[in-house]
Amino acid sequence: MNKILLIIKREYLTRVRKRTFIIGTILFPVLYLLLIFGTGYIAGKNKQDLNVGIIDKSGYFTEQLVANANRGDTANNLTLIRISEEVFKTQYDSLGYNGYVVIPENADWKKGLDSLVLNTNKTYGIGATVPVENKLNKLWSEIKNDSLGIDAAKKEILSKSNINLKTSNAKNQDADAGAATVIGYVCGFLMYLILLLYGSQVMMGVTEEKTSRIAEVVVSSVKPFQLMLGKIIGIGMVALTQFLIWIACIFLIYNLGKFSDGGAMGNAVGMVQRVFTSVHIFVVVGCFIFYLLAGFFFYSSLYAAIGSAINEDMREAQSLSFPITMLIIFSIALMTPAISNPSSPIAVWSSIIPFSSPIVMMARVPFGVPNTVPWWQLGLSMALLIAGFIFTTWFAGRIYRIGILMYGKKPSWKEMIKWAFRKQ
Amino acid sequence: MNILEVHNLKKYFATQKAVDDISLQIPKGCIFGLLGPNGAGKTTLIRMITGIFYPDAGEIILKGKKFDPENDAKYIGYMPEERGLYKKMKIGEQALYLAQLKGLSRSDAMYKIKDWFRRFEMESWWNKKVEDLSKGMGQKLQFVITVLHEPDLIILDEPFSGLDPVNSNLIKDEIYRLAKNGATIIFSTHRMEQVEEICDKIVLVNKGKKILDGSVHSVKQDFKENLFGIQLEKVPDVINSSSFEAIKTNKQELIVKIKEGHNPNDVLGYFIKEGVNIVSFKEILPSMSDIFIRLVEGTPSARQFQEIDA
Repeated sequence: MNKILLIIKREYLTRVRKRTFIIGTILFPVLYLLLIFGTGYIAGKNKQDLNVGIIDKSGYFTEQLVANANRGDTANNLTLIRISEEVFKTQYDSLGYNGYVVIPENADWKKGLDSLVLNTNKTYGIGATVPVENKLNKLWSEIKNDSLGIDAAKKEILSKSNINLKTSNAKNQDADAGAATVIGYVCGFLMYLILLLYGSQVMMGVTEEKTSRIAEVVVSSVKPFQLMLGKIIGIGMVALTQFLIWIACIFLIYNLGKFSDGGAMGNAVGMVQRVFTSVHIFVVVGCFIFYLLAGFFFYSSLYAAIGSAINEDMREAQSLSFPITMLIIFSIALMTPAISNPSSPIAVWSSIIPFSSPIVMMARVPFGVPNTVPWWQLGLSMALLIAGFIFTTWFAGRIYRIGILMYGKKPSWKEMIKWAFRKQ
Repeated sequence: MNILEVHNLKKYFATQKAVDDISLQIPKGCIFGLLGPNGAGKTTLIRMITGIFYPDAGEIILKGKKFDPENDAKYIGYMPEERGLYKKMKIGEQALYLAQLKGLSRSDAMYKIKDWFRRFEMESWWNKKVEDLSKGMGQKLQFVITVLHEPDLIILDEPFSGLDPVNSNLIKDEIYRLAKNGATIIFSTHRMEQVEEICDKIVLVNKGKKILDGSVHSVKQDFKENLFGIQLEKVPDVINSSSFEAIKTNKQELIVKIKEGHNPNDVLGYFIKEGVNIVSFKEILPSMSDIFIRLVEGTPSARQFQEIDA
């Protein structure tokens, strides 16, 4: 037991003391935020404002109407074309237009315009074309309104008739589906990243011990299983440390926020505060720590088994770890439907079955315990995950014991499973 | 008293009988040579003795008690043939860590490391990393780490490979010193001249079986071919004796083989009677290398794979 502690200590300290850990801990949240805001910014920047010409053969469109529409919505620009159609069609590019639509002669406001074709000489994404469609629809409604004789006052009444649907959970007045969705996504993705990154760290650590032949020296002092367990726990503690540092930072900002007001900082803090009060933060953090550790043990012991089976070649690692990595990626794929409907059978069962439960359950928990996630589901999921990681650790230990001293050809999964069930 | 006894040890792998019914005794304080061609099963045998592998059958008795890998690790120091250390870890910390894994307390380990480092002139290495060391330096470090916890049984697999003569001698002297202080050393090697020089007892294994066991002296006696070298002032042209035959003639030296039922006196008597002046006379014993080659000759140089029904 004492020896396992020594191994854990070494694994933990060598990693935490590394400069990459410190930089990673600070940089990760910054990069994560940059990624979220950056993609939003780039998407906004990238949206193309189209300049579209309208060739109106029906006579419904007037300069007045088009100008009004352009004033109300500046995302793109519509222009009524008065010059010869043939000339425009051949020259619109050089005249500064991105494309044009032709309103057919037989258009009738009573029947409606089923479809128009936006003629362009480049392909534009829906981010650019949908606003054009919306604006044309709006224009067409105006034309219909005018033809029906609906005046400004009536229009006002019509536009007010929209119903805005909000949800309210009778059992849990605090529940805020919006905040829960955001937290669910953040938790699920964070879990996914931690499992994948730290899992592969375990794998590389084991392979390093094997190829540098230190394993043989160490296993003459301790059991191979102790060496494996020490490594897994040590690296698990590193992951936990990193997570706790982040949580501590959030709490720090939260508490600082109480004393500051206004400004961008105050807005951000306010948002965090709203999120904190809308979900039970202690339940979420507690569950996250449990699923982080249990899920990590579940996956990293399998990664350790793979690490012990391979030699120097990293390609071997990739091909052997593929099924494990697929399980994690599959879990993240299950997360999206689970968040959009956290009580659906697929969400419930994938949050109970051990391999996907760390990610999917963490995506569901922010929606509320025990209302969205009943206690029995959480309990069953936790119990099964504990049973799961005991099994994978046992299974991996048996492979590891043989693999760590086996050099030469890379074994297949079939052979590794045979190792696991062979007698001592 | 035997520090280590191995009884009918067996270890079968899927395609090989790596160790097939080997028994041996190693007396305390002995420098013991474990010899054998590549793939004979030496490493597997050692791995069972160090507790890395469980034997399929047989038992290991260490210090008069059944070997318990968990608690007996501190009595054993093992230096594998393929040297292994954490490349990125500082040398001092690494030695401290590995010594603590053997069961030494931190302060005890620290004291011993300082002592060894001083003796081997390695004090300046403490904050260096293993990747900064040359191969020979790494070897020295590995040796120190192996013997640091003062084990009763030290197992060295090819300890001199990659060492220059100066460092080789340094380690050799340490081996003698450790043996004198009561440690037992198992020495696995292919270098037969070192075996002759260092070992008291040897065991030769081939194809997983023990084929020779005894002291270096008695083994040589067992394998002697009654060859003698006799230096004469002038080698006579014709030698005709019923007690021996001449095998080879150099300028002044004659190699003779004494026939069954005769002894060296008959040889000397013959030349004295012939009136030839004898300069020197000595027995020619086979070298360990000759014995080794003779015993394993005819074995395929690589072991063949076979199906095992275990």
